[in-house]
Amino acid sequence: MTWVRTSIVLIAVLVLTVWVSGGPQRGGTAAAARKLSPADATASIVAATRALTSALDEGARSKVQFPFEGPQKARWSNLPSGIFQRQGLRMGDLTPAQRAAVMNLLQTTLSPDGFRKVTEIMRGDEVLRTTGGGAPGGRGGGRGRGGPGSGGLIFGEDEYYLAFVGTPSTTSPWMLQFGGHHLAINLTLWGSEASMTPSLPAAQPASYTFEGKEIRPLGKENDKAFALINALDAAAQRQAILSSRVADLVLGPGQDGRVIQPEGIRATALSSAQQTMLLDIVREWAGIMTDSFAEPRMAEIRGNLPETYFAWSGSTTNGSAAYFRIQGPTLVIEYAPQQGSVDHIHTIYRDPTNDYGAKLLAK
Amino acid sequence: MTTARSSWRSKRAVALTLILVLAGAVAISAHRRDEYLQAARIAIDPDRVEIALDLTPGISVAADVLARIDRDGDTFVSPDEARAYARELQRVVALDVDGAPLRLELVDDTFPPVEAVRNGEGAMRVNLAAPLPPLAAGVHHLRYRNSHRSDIGVYLANALVPANDRVEVTAQRRDADQRELIIDYVLRPPRTHPRVQLSAGVALMSMLGVWRRRRRMESR
Repeated sequence: MTWVRTSIVLIAVLVLTVWVSGGPQRGGTAAAARKLSPADATASIVAATRALTSALDEGARSKVQFPFEGPQKARWSNLPSGIFQRQGLRMGDLTPAQRAAVMNLLQTTLSPDGFRKVTEIMRGDEVLRTTGGGAPGGRGGGRGRGGPGSGGLIFGEDEYYLAFVGTPSTTSPWMLQFGGHHLAINLTLWGSEASMTPSLPAAQPASYTFEGKEIRPLGKENDKAFALINALDAAAQRQAILSSRVADLVLGPGQDGRVIQPEGIRATALSSAQQTMLLDIVREWAGIMTDSFAEPRMAEIRGNLPETYFAWSGSTTNGSAAYFRIQGPTLVIEYAPQQGSVDHIHTIYRDPTNDYGAKLLAK
Repeated sequence: MTTARSSWRSKRAVALTLILVLAGAVAISAHRRDEYLQAARIAIDPDRVEIALDLTPGISVAADVLARIDRDGDTFVSPDEARAYARELQRVVALDVDGAPLRLELVDDTFPPVEAVRNGEGAMRVNLAAPLPPLAAGVHHLRYRNSHRSDIGVYLANALVPANDRVEVTAQRRDADQRELIIDYVLRPPRTHPRVQLSAGVALMSMLGVWRRRRRMESR
């Protein structure tokens, strides 16, 4: 009976989303959400959360819900389960129908490209699990010998968690949190406004084969950045390229509230075409959330372009492990290969003025 | 009794973790391996410098780093052992302004679970601070240098955007591996409070008025 009820709810959400968007479109609910106003996008996301919670039992509902004021907001990490204990609804504990409802919620919340990125990062972690990456001593089904909480690292698609910080609402502030190893999406919503910072999309392996296709979750970020650094002339490269090695993210997890001094070449020193390339890189992060929110965010970043900097560390030959940073008054993006490996990438996306929706809440 | 038992249990768990980690030919992916990341974020105020130092040993060097911290070798890092290690950092980090050495104080330290450190993902945090001597308005240079565990260390050093608008960072110069960072900054003179400016203006105008009235009376 439960699956019947869940199916009915899911169909209802689908019909509602299509109805709100004005008709069926290729690409499903996310494509539909692309056409929505920000307020309608929030309504659509809230509807998807209700569809999910109605498919959960009481225990699961209490797991997913957290008070808006509390420690849960900042409880995210790039680390795998076993050494970082997330709170919330664990994907591995859900029925197939409940899992589908979570994915429907993500598809409604994110842009098609953002949804692709998130699912490819999760699938990459599944690759890590099945190739024994998580098991000390080698292959072992992905669960480290010590088990959770005692040093065993746990990888795979089951180890991603969903949390609602505050009650999903079209009129009050709340936050949707989804994350696991190499992924943290923190989306604060308040009516027609949204902030998806801080968020951490990362990847290992950064390239793998799935169903005969090469998958690179962060491939476009990498390729577009190399294209930009190589589009600069020698003098501009000298301004952009830092003289020292940058070994990791400077403003990764645990660095909330910090703003580092910008470095590199200022966007005003770039040609118009190069500025467009820079914004195109930024969109890889800002565009993870649905276009209804990504467009105003991009407009804000575009407005701050004269105060935005692009910094680079490492070789300029694509295929090398190179660090880059884009920083403006409301933006920090860092892309950091780990220990010189192109197959293990960490990135961070922040808005120093609006992490966890601070600016929205101050209004 | 309960505390003693739970402490024993936690020690046993840590020891078990150590055995498991060392027993296997560890092939854990996704984590820093043979490097010891030491990331400094430096905040400059007109009269004070603060350094937040995050230290993350990779999985292959964690045992070596921990051995130096866990001095009694009981596979448990006590608050005293963590504090002693923080003091070692305090001694080894060098800071000067315009060539004059600054005396760093240990503000606090936090130590993550030992198993997180052993897995190459635990970051120890050491907060240091130094008072600055009275400096004249103008250009100054703050030099930070960290040579701790240079055999395995990789370093990050960054100036934070100053919270006080009297301080403006104008450049950051580093060596190739970021062990050393020189921050060039401008210190502006303290601003006079608007009320003081207003009072001074009113007083000046009053004096001018009195002077003009006297001159007028004298000319009659």
